[in-house]
Amino acid sequence: MNFEIAGSKIYYSIHTGVPVLGDFNITETLVVSWIVMAIITLLCIFLTRNMSVENISKRQAVAEMIVEAANNLVRSNTGSNRFDWLIPLVAAIFSTSIISNLICLVGLRSPTADLSTEAAWAVVVFIIITGCKIKAGGIGGYLKGFTTPIAVMTPFNILSELATPVSMACRHFGNILSGIVIDGLIYAALAIASSAIFGAIPGAVGDFLSQIPILSVGIPAVLGFYFDWFTGCMQAFIFSMLTIMYIANAAEG
Amino acid sequence: MGTQELVGVIPWTFIAQICNLFIQLWLLKKFLFKPVNEILEKRKALADKEIKDARAAKAEARSMKEQYETSLSKAQAEAADIVAAAQKDAQRKAETVVKEAESQAAHIKAKAEADIEQEKKKAINEAKDTIGGLAMDIAGKVVEKEINEKDHKKLIEEFIGNVGEAS
Repeated sequence: MNFEIAGSKIYYSIHTGVPVLGDFNITETLVVSWIVMAIITLLCIFLTRNMSVENISKRQAVAEMIVEAANNLVRSNTGSNRFDWLIPLVAAIFSTSIISNLICLVGLRSPTADLSTEAAWAVVVFIIITGCKIKAGGIGGYLKGFTTPIAVMTPFNILSELATPVSMACRHFGNILSGIVIDGLIYAALAIASSAIFGAIPGAVGDFLSQIPILSVGIPAVLGFYFDWFTGCMQAFIFSMLTIMYIANAAEG
Repeated sequence: MGTQELVGVIPWTFIAQICNLFIQLWLLKKFLFKPVNEILEKRKALADKEIKDARAAKAEARSMKEQYETSLSKAQAEAADIVAAAQKDAQRKAETVVKEAESQAAHIKAKAEADIEQEKKKAINEAKDTIGGLAMDIAGKVVEKEINEKDHKKLIEEFIGNVGEAS
């Protein structure tokens, strides 16, 4: 039995003719991303409908809790209100990440199982980090920062600077992809085991039962709890925390 | 339908995901943060206003209380004054009444004494007259002799006068 994991499906290809970028492919990643965005936006609209100052509904309480949690996360980790502009970005990354990670539970392919997604986020964060550093120390200060503590360290400093977005993207991507790989392996292995065990039953009954991967019911759910739920939530949180930390550090100069 | 490579950055997908992130950011701002923060601000403003109002009401109540206390103590002092004045007045009146009564009583007593004295004198005079008449009659009968009534009377009066002085 062969086991294969492919990248996201390409539904439709638009020929652009742009030299480096190539054709624009409507992939599973993009479609599911849009679904995720729609889910988040509809959820927000649902939660913030008919809000009032007093006698709030449960929906409004949840919406306020989410906003307060986002505010607190950013403010407590940066230690001030200076980074309030960061809150919606962190919230966007966190919500997109967590819903993307968890959407694999309904059988769709996570957009976060595509390195392009995480690379996009990491590059955005990297640009903001760089922008904050330049704003804090000026362009001269920013460039001079690479030569510390001694000029010889410059290549390593540049490398470590570039490692930030790469590590952020790859950490998230690796965790989600490994979840998919392990889920796939477990399903395949359980199907083979199930076929072998029930195939041992003689006669037509064994032939029939060996066609059904009975062991695949239940056992993957236990592993899925770790690889989908826990990792999904954890990676979303880690990515958001790193975003806050890196940007706050960068702005400190 | 093909698939893209498993690990790799596809340029267009990459660009599209950056756009998606910013669209998501905008949507979150518009549909979650803006309305909720507005509500939170409103609630905060309301709470601040309530606190301010409560403070103002408290200050007002305190000043009113002070005012009441002052006016109350003033009223109490006034009442005490009034009572004291009334007591003084009453005492004065009572004294006047008593004095008047006393003087009246003295007057009445004096008049009564004078009346009594007069009555006594009158009675004595009457008694003198009667006794004088009687004595004259008796003496006339005794001596059987007609005496000049005028001389006789004088004699008897002298006698009674002596009797009165002796008695």
